[in-house]
Amino acid sequence: MHLKEADLKDFLRKYSVAMILLIMIIALSLFSWRFLRPSNLINISLQTSIVAIVAIGMTFTILTGGIDLSVGSVVALSGALASGFIVRNGFPLYSAITLALLIGVGIGMLNGLLIVKGNIPPFVATLAVMAIARGLTLVYTQGRPISGMGDDFVYWGSGKIGLLPVPVLILIIVLILSYIVLRHTQFGLYVYAIGGNEETARLAGINNDRSKISVYMISSFTASLAGILLTARLWSAQPNAGVGLELEAIAATVLGGTSLMGGYGGTGGTVAGAFIMGVLANGLNLLEISAYSQRVIKGVIFILAVMFDIYTKKEKKKG
Amino acid sequence: MIDKKKYILSLENIRKTFPGVTALDNVTFRAEAGEIHALVGENGAGKSTLMKIIAGIYSPDNGSIRLGGNIVEISSPGKAQSLGIGMIHQELALVPYLTVGQNIYLGREPHRYLKAFIDWKKLYNMAEEQLGALKLEVDPKTFVIDIPIAQQQMVEVAKALSINAKIIIMDEPTSALTDKETRILFGVMRSLKEQGITIIYISHRLEEIFEIADRVTVLRDGLHIATSLISDLSQDDIVRMMVGRELGDLYPKNTIPQENCILEVKNLSSGKLLKDINFHLNKGEVLGISGLIGAGRTELARAIFGIDSFDSGEIFIDGTKVSINSPGEAIRMGLGFLTEDRKEQGLFMGMSVRENITIGVLKKFSTFGFPSFRKLKILAGKFIKQMNIRTPNVNQKVKNLSGGNQQKVLIARWLNLNPGILILDEPTRGIDVGAKAEIYALIDRLAGEGVGIILISSELPEIIGISDRIIVIRQGEITGEFTREEVTQDKIMQCAAAGGRYAS
Amino acid sequence: MKKFFSFLMILLLVISTVTFAGGKKEDNEGLTLGLSLSTLNNPFFVSLKEGAEAKAAELGAKLIIVDSQDDSSKEATNIEDLIQKGVDALLINPTDADAIVPSIKKANAAGIPVFTIDRGAAGGDVVSHIASDNVAGGKMAAEYMVELLGGKGKIVELEGIAGTSAARDRGKGFNEVISANSGLSVVAKQTANFNRAEGLSVFENILQAQPEIDGVFAHNDEMILGALQAAEAAGRTGIVFIGFDAVDDAVNAVKSGKLAATVAQQPGEIGSLGVEAAVKSLSGGSVESSIPVPLALVTK
Repeated sequence: MHLKEADLKDFLRKYSVAMILLIMIIALSLFSWRFLRPSNLINISLQTSIVAIVAIGMTFTILTGGIDLSVGSVVALSGALASGFIVRNGFPLYSAITLALLIGVGIGMLNGLLIVKGNIPPFVATLAVMAIARGLTLVYTQGRPISGMGDDFVYWGSGKIGLLPVPVLILIIVLILSYIVLRHTQFGLYVYAIGGNEETARLAGINNDRSKISVYMISSFTASLAGILLTARLWSAQPNAGVGLELEAIAATVLGGTSLMGGYGGTGGTVAGAFIMGVLANGLNLLEISAYSQRVIKGVIFILAVMFDIYTKKEKKKG
Repeated sequence: MIDKKKYILSLENIRKTFPGVTALDNVTFRAEAGEIHALVGENGAGKSTLMKIIAGIYSPDNGSIRLGGNIVEISSPGKAQSLGIGMIHQELALVPYLTVGQNIYLGREPHRYLKAFIDWKKLYNMAEEQLGALKLEVDPKTFVIDIPIAQQQMVEVAKALSINAKIIIMDEPTSALTDKETRILFGVMRSLKEQGITIIYISHRLEEIFEIADRVTVLRDGLHIATSLISDLSQDDIVRMMVGRELGDLYPKNTIPQENCILEVKNLSSGKLLKDINFHLNKGEVLGISGLIGAGRTELARAIFGIDSFDSGEIFIDGTKVSINSPGEAIRMGLGFLTEDRKEQGLFMGMSVRENITIGVLKKFSTFGFPSFRKLKILAGKFIKQMNIRTPNVNQKVKNLSGGNQQKVLIARWLNLNPGILILDEPTRGIDVGAKAEIYALIDRLAGEGVGIILISSELPEIIGISDRIIVIRQGEITGEFTREEVTQDKIMQCAAAGGRYAS
Repeated sequence: MKKFFSFLMILLLVISTVTFAGGKKEDNEGLTLGLSLSTLNNPFFVSLKEGAEAKAAELGAKLIIVDSQDDSSKEATNIEDLIQKGVDALLINPTDADAIVPSIKKANAAGIPVFTIDRGAAGGDVVSHIASDNVAGGKMAAEYMVELLGGKGKIVELEGIAGTSAARDRGKGFNEVISANSGLSVVAKQTANFNRAEGLSVFENILQAQPEIDGVFAHNDEMILGALQAAEAAGRTGIVFIGFDAVDDAVNAVKSGKLAATVAQQPGEIGSLGVEAAVKSLSGGSVESSIPVPLALVTK
């Protein structure tokens, strides 16, 4: 009996986020028969995919003990650039997307260099880059949305392969790749090592600078990817796209059990965290809860979910 | 001319300065192959700096390093590793949320496919072997945060061994180990020595040095004082060279406790940590609490001081039953608690000496919430003088002081509050002989003034030397109680390790 | 462990209370309309919402309201949820004319008729567009400005969110009249995104740059009220301010003489006409593809 209890605690520590998600799904399906319909579940996945992709990149930076506040702006910039290259410059679709992604990654490199070489704390460096990237977006778009990209571009946001919307498929691919990188490569191990104890990592002969720059490049890459998907989903690049998205991505990461201090967590939890928020938003809409009270409820559930997560972890440490 | 070939490692005329300090001045250090070479000196003498130069963390301003006769430049920790130099750092340097195996091979993972992917199976097999060699029964897949500190220390040893080092530097490796674990470590050190590996061993515990080392080098104030066979020296010789003067009696004992009881703990229990603890403390008495690491000594202190709650039991102060729910309440009742972890739980490392000393009494020196900094400065100055705290001025940041002076700052903060009962948890951990002597003298003086002192310590000579009475705790239970006259190291160890209630 | 289970119970309890509190029982009798609003932080849209609610109650239809918080991505999500919910018709007040298109197409695909409110859409099948005649409103404001300034002076225009039809149309109507008067010139034209705080800061900057300003027209009241504050703080007088929308604060400012005029849209009326059109269409009646809602100039 005692052993069983310990096992259960261990299970909870590992999967507490998934548990919360499950509880919410069960609760919501009790109150609305529409909730569990496949079309609604696909709907939720589509809605969540963009935040989740951004949050996966965010998780890398948070695992090293950093943070990336610039992702929301990068989402807008890459979407605007990809659209602009197609509409204004007549670039072929894939060249436009590739170029936009590369510029996005460049912004990540800028973040990384400011943090590593400039010795600026991640919060401050990425806050500044957040303003810069948003400004560049406004300059490039002149504050107006860009549209008219054509159906082959729109496919990336609105198309489906079988039952799965393309953004969901891309989320799955990004998640699998991130898992392999974090759990099976040296770089992934170093991400955890730096977050857990930066000095130790340095003394072990690890090139911390390179790893840290890389995580910001990854974060900007996923943000750019999400920006292109969002633009394709809305059929138009909005200059104010992704405002506040960085907070949603951080929330998903924290909900997913990744420590803001770094060193502990993973992208699987992050995606579960993003789905908790997506399911909640969808459920509250289906339940016709007023737009005003929805925000209060989201805040309360967020606190409860994080407390639950902390609680299950504490249990294990005591025992 | 010295025969340099004899030495596997020789550092000649090393000089290293930091802004405002000369850490090493023309220091020469030579180690032979297959010897255990102890390096001693007070904190700030330059031991750590010297070792960090060997490990590639610092580079010297001046001087040369020879390895096996060839001049080398050790530009980074990675370079040091590839030259066969491993280092075990004084402060545990493991990554908490990585596994034991991941920590051992951090930076040197066995890989496959394009050198990017880690071969986990091979890594854990290698780790298993390495741990086996140290007789350490730990699953290499356990997270480091889930194993006890002592085992973490052994993982550090495993990590250093795993690079197939020719030279291993050990900086205070036993400070967190139990006696049994120390024995195992010494066994490993001896077998490494037989394999021709050189060990440079830094420790404050002179007994250990006499037991394990072949030769000793003494540093003081960044200068090389002596290198000698250990068998040619006595402990007193080494202490004299370290301190640069005669210390006199290390453990002064001029006072005797009074009769009246100021603190009594009855039937205190808290989960598995503390079981039915009963003891009392008299005015002016020094009560030593001994036991192994993790026996519950710190937990007992924390429970009394209102930091952690406990399940049952009563606490009496001056004969009145009290309930203490927070450190604030404890302080108002006249208790003081010097934590064992001064860096994390005691001091504000980034704040000044003055701020650290006076933070507890701000209210007393404030009008309408505005403290009088002039008065606080005078107060801090008084303590700096009285306790012989070595600092350039009251505004110096505490993190720039040596361990011993940091500890004195923390003690000064408590003395400021004039506690009637002072709990000292490992008050001399990681500080040098000179500062230790000052703290012992201070304890004696406080006892003379009527303060009741509870002294928690892992160092047996210390606890025996200055306590009036000693209780021993094992697995949360009191297993023995001795008076100053009857106590011996053996008696304490018997109670601490074997258990069995020892009636006195 | 006991603690853990009690925690679990609390979590479940909170979720269910929350869901019960808001979750009325689903019924499928009567018509259900979905109303997606670009924001509920702006009193104009709150009035619109209230007009729609009153009309829906009157006609016995159920109205589900979602708030996009001025975010196109949230808007898409909310509308998908409404489609999932199976509403009979969608009334959409888009955040952006282009970004709303995919959502309208989705509704089209699901066979749900779409009505656009206040702002139009750039594509997709829309049954009817219900909005104030903004071009006429812009003209109205400009004519009054011409009258007050005697056909001569320097004018500043504070524009709404670029790309919205309201900003486009109001500006168009206004500029048509102004450019016909050779004595009047627009010396500064900047966007303040329909927002009072931005109106304040943008106009502060313009005040620094322009020593002489005779009149200010803003595409909505929030911006003109911001500009008014900026002028008062800078001690600049003798400027004619004209706003748009006639929100409560603006009407009060007109009464006190600070604001020359505001063009009164009738947001409640827009909401009400929108619901009416949707219900009429759903019950088989025919509705015009464009329903203009009359405007009026509010002066002292």
